[in-house]
Amino acid sequence: MLTARFTAPAVPKTLVHRPELLRRLTAGVRGPLTLINGPAGSGKTVLTAHWAAAGGCAPRAPLWLTVEPDDAPGVFWAYVLEALHRGGVELPAAVGRPTRAEGVTQSFLVRLAAGLADSAQPVVLVLDQFDTAQPPAMTEGLDFVLRHAAGGLRIVLTSRTDSLLPLHRYRAAGEIAEIRHADLRFTHADAEALLGEHRLDISQAGIRLLMRRTEGWAAGVRLCALAMQRSPDPEAFVRQFAADRTTIADYLLKEVLDAQPPDTQDLLLRVSVTDRVHPDLADALTGRDDAARTLAGLARDNAFLEQVDASAWYRLHPLFAEVLRAHLRQRHPGLEQQLHGRAARWLAGTGRLTEAVVQGAAAGDWPFAAGQLVDDLAIGRLFTGLEAEQLNRAFAPLPAEAPGAAPALVGAAARLVVQDLPGYEDAARRADSRLSPGSGAAARLSRAFLGVLAGRTTGDLAATERAAADAERVLGELPPPRVAAHPELRALLLAALGAVRLGAGRPDAAESALAAAVEACGGPGTEPGTEPGTEPGTDRRAGAGTDTGTQYPLCDALGSLALAELMRGRLRRAAEHARASLAVAEQAALPPERRSGAGHLVLAGVAVEHDDLPAARSHLDLATAIAAAGPRPDAVAAVLAAVIGARIAAYEGDGGAALAVLTRLRPAATATPASAWAVDELAVAESAAHLARGDAAAALRVLDAAPCGRPEHALARARALLAAGRTGPAARELAGLPADDGLAAPARLAACLLRGRLAAAQGDTEEARRRQAEAVDLARPEGLRLPFAEGGARVRRTLREAPRPAARQGRPADGPPPAVAPPVVAPPVVESLSARETEVLRQAARMLSTEEIAAELYVSANTVKTHLKSIYRKLGVTRRSDAVHRAQALGLL
Amino acid sequence: MRYEFRISGVVPDTLAANFPELDRIPVREQTLLLGIVADEAHLYGLLTRFQSLGLRVLEMRQVPA
Repeated sequence: MLTARFTAPAVPKTLVHRPELLRRLTAGVRGPLTLINGPAGSGKTVLTAHWAAAGGCAPRAPLWLTVEPDDAPGVFWAYVLEALHRGGVELPAAVGRPTRAEGVTQSFLVRLAAGLADSAQPVVLVLDQFDTAQPPAMTEGLDFVLRHAAGGLRIVLTSRTDSLLPLHRYRAAGEIAEIRHADLRFTHADAEALLGEHRLDISQAGIRLLMRRTEGWAAGVRLCALAMQRSPDPEAFVRQFAADRTTIADYLLKEVLDAQPPDTQDLLLRVSVTDRVHPDLADALTGRDDAARTLAGLARDNAFLEQVDASAWYRLHPLFAEVLRAHLRQRHPGLEQQLHGRAARWLAGTGRLTEAVVQGAAAGDWPFAAGQLVDDLAIGRLFTGLEAEQLNRAFAPLPAEAPGAAPALVGAAARLVVQDLPGYEDAARRADSRLSPGSGAAARLSRAFLGVLAGRTTGDLAATERAAADAERVLGELPPPRVAAHPELRALLLAALGAVRLGAGRPDAAESALAAAVEACGGPGTEPGTEPGTEPGTDRRAGAGTDTGTQYPLCDALGSLALAELMRGRLRRAAEHARASLAVAEQAALPPERRSGAGHLVLAGVAVEHDDLPAARSHLDLATAIAAAGPRPDAVAAVLAAVIGARIAAYEGDGGAALAVLTRLRPAATATPASAWAVDELAVAESAAHLARGDAAAALRVLDAAPCGRPEHALARARALLAAGRTGPAARELAGLPADDGLAAPARLAACLLRGRLAAAQGDTEEARRRQAEAVDLARPEGLRLPFAEGGARVRRTLREAPRPAARQGRPADGPPPAVAPPVVAPPVVESLSARETEVLRQAARMLSTEEIAAELYVSANTVKTHLKSIYRKLGVTRRSDAVHRAQALGLL
Repeated sequence: MRYEFRISGVVPDTLAANFPELDRIPVREQTLLLGIVADEAHLYGLLTRFQSLGLRVLEMRQVPA
């Protein structure tokens, strides 16, 4: 069935030779774009197929792709890649391949264009039936690739309507050849030639009548020839036809149809329910066994249908398919649905799942259509893969009262796809009431699968674990080959289970599920093209044939793995997984709304720990953009995004902004019950924001309002207590921490630094120095830097707020750092001014007023005041002039 | 929005059945199809359906409801 899209239809035996048009086509493909426009039946495809069959544009034969009206952009590009691959065009593996129907990324198009630009010979690609029904994004993408392929791609488009391509630009640049309706119209001579081919001898007057009535419309002339062949008096037929005023297509079609034997008429009407037909499928629709012969005969006459090159399949001419369907509805009311049902069963019997489901849905036979998905263990296909959109569309009209468990399960899945939790729960309850322990394994597995996926929205760990255990048990009951045919099912399930565990604050348990999910996808190293030993060009191609639907869960699972590692403080591994997740998304050309934002989020978190704030900001912005484009992000990701944003702001000295980031999150986080981890992570971040504003009391209040046993909580308390100058309680807090082995690396480092600061505050210079040296060693493996910089500010404030002797004794803390110190250790007790603050201070040094500074920097006066406050705090002054003097003394200006 | 489509030729019952939302008025060698068009999506959908059935639109206009 797939092959049909990549082969030009066979050229009809009775063909009018049109050398002038063929020549124009050949000339056209020397430029980037050739358009063949005309209404249905004007001979666009026949002309192009004839040209392609005649060698087209030697040396390289043109490649063919028949575009279908409901090809989503992702599917379209997957087919383009497949067409290129079948045509022997070698593209670099890095181009990747689309795996989602909704669309592709711009970067994919850039790589494709670059790949085509590098090909040795220009590629000529025919896009047959590329109509305006295509989404604009697809046309824009095509325009982009065409303009950036540096002459490596030439397109021939046939369509009924003018394309949405910016034709005026191509026209202005002389880069377009157009063959339009007027060019395609049959001339008197063409018509005469065609009638001659049909061995019809018609008078010149008769041909003139025919031309006047059909206005040179190719399908009209052709149909008329067929009707005349079957008419006892062709001349009389032409006269009668010319006198009639019925719409031509219908008139001729009826004439030709009525002239066929009753069995043939019946067959034609029945096969119109599918656009493509196989003789066996036709037999299934008619209940007879004569289809092979009848179809071959009709194709020979080129009446209504054509044989798809080198296959047993036939394709109905789109115009006739529509008109035939209209006649079917009129002659046999109600039969259409039945026929869809029969077609669905035949397609299912021959293993064409998606088409069977679509036909079953068209028949309104919901138990059958849904049953196919469920029984085949293919329910995951609603969530991932190139056909997800098509399947969801087919099930859009599924009524709630459709009988049986399978429709309820599919209905629940469809609601889950759009994250409609109440809708899902309704449908799931219906499914539960129709399922029993005696139900088939596939149905029980599907139910458990949905239960796990729903956990992602509900955050209910216990229910999710139960569903996951059910699913594993049922998976064990099923024969392994059946399970292996749909790897995406387990991959989606495990990725969701991992994400739910992560959301419940259990990164260790999450990791085992996520690692299993990655393995179920075939592992990150096994994507096509990177597998060692893969013959170049064999497996990197796109196309539904190689679409396993596992790229989306793989990207998702790797992103969650990265989050889990980040939560456990293993920055290097977190960054590796994050980059792997991003690479999969890129390779699979996942559109932003289908990406996991976790990759960028984790890289932002890692950059914060590395004290690389610009990188942290840019990754955080990317993660936020992805989260905004896609479905609601998991709670963990939302919490982490806010925490990271707050940390960046707090570190830049803007405690107010940090608090604002956290406050904004609150309504979203309370939508689902937040885990203990999330609550505490937010409390710790909020306390840090208060500390950044110099409000140690508020920092303590926030922490004490949400008591928690996490070491991070104790560390935050110790930090706040130190900042408040309460060394005794701070010491007790630090003493209560678990042994070092039980702490994640960043926590261990923070503990060490806090102990050093405590020692400094207590006047134990030796201990403070020792701790600092230890901290440097601790920081090195993961490249941690931020706690030094962050700790510096705290130490400074502690010194300022603590009694003077302690302060003086504390000075050694900023003595020369140990020999191997990372660079940021150099000024450990000075919190540096941000670039903006330095700018404000520089303006202040010019004796400008607040308002003048605001005008100078294009910000509001309030913003300037905020910056000034932050500057005062960092420099330990209370007045503007002092700040300027202090900054000049420190060489900051 | 009420629209009138002037179609070339006589539109037979079979094809007209595809447009239950439109009234059909035969005029000399042409057919007027009249009806309420819900929105632009509906309008373009109708034009596409005309085209796919081989019906030629000669004229189209909005008429007072």
